[in-house]
Amino acid sequence: MPVDRERLLTVLERAHTGPVCETYEWDTRVIPGTLRSILRKYELEKTCDPANPINMNDELADRFFQAGLEAAEQIGLLCTDTHRIIKFSREELLEGLEAAPAEFTVGENGQEVTFKHRGLNDPTEPVWIAPLSIAVTEEVFVPLVEGIAREEVVDCIEGPSLETVYGHKVRAGSPFELMVGKYQAELNYEALRRAGRLGMPMYVVGTSPTHYGVLGGYGIPGGFKPGRDIVLLLSPVEMKTTYELLHRLVQVYNCGDGLVYGGSWSMIGGYAGGPEGATLSCIACTILLYTAYQAVNGASFPYDLKYMGNCGRKALWALSMVFQTLSRNTHICANSVLNQTAGPVTDMLLYESAVGMMTLAVSGATSCTGTRTAGGRFTNYITPLEVRFAGEVFKRCAGMSRERANEIANQLLPRYEDRLMEKPAGKSFLECYDLKTLQPSDEWRKLYETIKEECIKAGLPLA
Amino acid sequence: MGKEELLARLKQKFFDESYEDEIVPVAQEIVAQGIDVLEAIQAASEAIRQVGDAYEAGELFLPDLMIAGEKMKRCMDIFRPHLKAGAGEAKGGKVVLGTVSGDIHDIGKNLVGTMLTVGGYELIDLGVDVPPLEFVTTARDKGADVLALSALMTASLPYQQEVIQLLKETGLREKVFVIVGGGPVTAEFAQRIGADGWAENAAGALKLVDRILAGGGKPAQTFVAIG
Repeated sequence: MPVDRERLLTVLERAHTGPVCETYEWDTRVIPGTLRSILRKYELEKTCDPANPINMNDELADRFFQAGLEAAEQIGLLCTDTHRIIKFSREELLEGLEAAPAEFTVGENGQEVTFKHRGLNDPTEPVWIAPLSIAVTEEVFVPLVEGIAREEVVDCIEGPSLETVYGHKVRAGSPFELMVGKYQAELNYEALRRAGRLGMPMYVVGTSPTHYGVLGGYGIPGGFKPGRDIVLLLSPVEMKTTYELLHRLVQVYNCGDGLVYGGSWSMIGGYAGGPEGATLSCIACTILLYTAYQAVNGASFPYDLKYMGNCGRKALWALSMVFQTLSRNTHICANSVLNQTAGPVTDMLLYESAVGMMTLAVSGATSCTGTRTAGGRFTNYITPLEVRFAGEVFKRCAGMSRERANEIANQLLPRYEDRLMEKPAGKSFLECYDLKTLQPSDEWRKLYETIKEECIKAGLPLA
Repeated sequence: MGKEELLARLKQKFFDESYEDEIVPVAQEIVAQGIDVLEAIQAASEAIRQVGDAYEAGELFLPDLMIAGEKMKRCMDIFRPHLKAGAGEAKGGKVVLGTVSGDIHDIGKNLVGTMLTVGGYELIDLGVDVPPLEFVTTARDKGADVLALSALMTASLPYQQEVIQLLKETGLREKVFVIVGGGPVTAEFAQRIGADGWAENAAGALKLVDRILAGGGKPAQTFVAIG
């Protein structure tokens, strides 16, 4: 689905002609004030129900969508380079959602993956994209990606991120970043070849925080491939865009046949307020991103600022509400990110993954990207085993009822929710995996088997 | 309006939805009436503490904290010239804060900035995507006591080290403390790149600045971590 030139030019033009707004005013008045008044208008305040972290109220979800549409129309996207607001009419926003595909296929050579819009309790298997862009050292990159690609439940590759390029630190915005764009593609190809999965679709460019990675690695000989791979456009909070993101969008257009992921997040406790505000912000932002970026996949998802994750009750409720709202009221292929706080070789990482992935599976998410092991805080703290576990839960929970999911969540949450602020780091890939055989240590495998058994006893269909 | 009523009005301004500048006439009236500005500062500090408690309890959110911090800054601009020498300037340190090059994340930085402002420090916020040299020249030109460097992206971490290296090369390293923080920034990393301190969160950043400035030590000599 190529990027439409007229729609693209409209966005670029409005970034220079829209209403002026300074960032401080945006963060402290426009965002909180507008969201608060819309929450009030639609009677959405204090609707978060931590006792039932997976929403079961369809009417409430539909009300959130109408509120989100109004918020998107009233607020727009702030371009932080020009300090102008890119605004859209309600008709343009609805057309933007309508133009997004309900189904599309990426990948090649027998590794094609089809993304489909999913309904609530939908038995359609969701798509698992792994891992998140967690920093790793160069010697770990290829074995780790190979190990992850060997996991059958993994459909697409996104991360990890390289700390260095040919031994030199990757510095954001510098020529090193331009270089790492293609370098990451080359290393991914090598890892996928070793795993026997060359042709797997990839999200690009995880290592690169600015546009240089995409300019240096996408649509060039030997780089990531338009039509097969998806370009990441991750908007900063709250409802902002930048020249860096718009540069990437133009590069996708220039390459033709390009596919865009439009993503962002909202913090519970941040600019948008509490869980209801963050939920509303995510819905509004998703509508804006699909319209402005012509995205085929993505969404804005909530985090909890207190522990920088989304596996606690309030964040799970917000996650479930965002994706149920989008599932019931649009046909888009919405993607979430699950943010765990615990690291490898901890029971907590697996419990967080179990509850979070189940929540997304029953709430209509088309796809999910993860794992964000140990909150992405430590270099080399990510392994294929938790990626396998999270993917298993995600896929096998498809078709489960929300009532059943709530029962299971309420059994599993008490096993970790008191520890969310502790964020145990666990062990690094080098400490719990054999790099030659790409097998986990006995300790890690046994823990995986034990927690999986506990989850099966709690009712997860993992047997 | 009497003293008690004016001080109560000052405190109330931290909780209502008024614009930041609307607290200025109240502060000016306090000064005009000859009320001891130390009492006014104590009242404002109490209000700020209550805002912080409400934030911790999930009743107020980041924008409320930021607005309260800005109001405090405006009050101090009015009260400071009327303080008797040595009184009330509990800390008085100057902190230059920013998110380093290539990184446009600002939530953590804004939280730290608010905590430092309400903690009594003079804050110079350079914003996001700040080049290393700008940190160094601002620290030099403004006579900063502390440089506070935030980073959330892995590819931006090298710039925290580059700021420290630039300080060394320009002969400024022993004149300014450097503290670092952000999602992927660990205490080990902070120590490895030669920072003076690291804190896990915004509340910790305030404790960290308190400790390094009150400790009597000099920059580039010790390392403090607040986890």
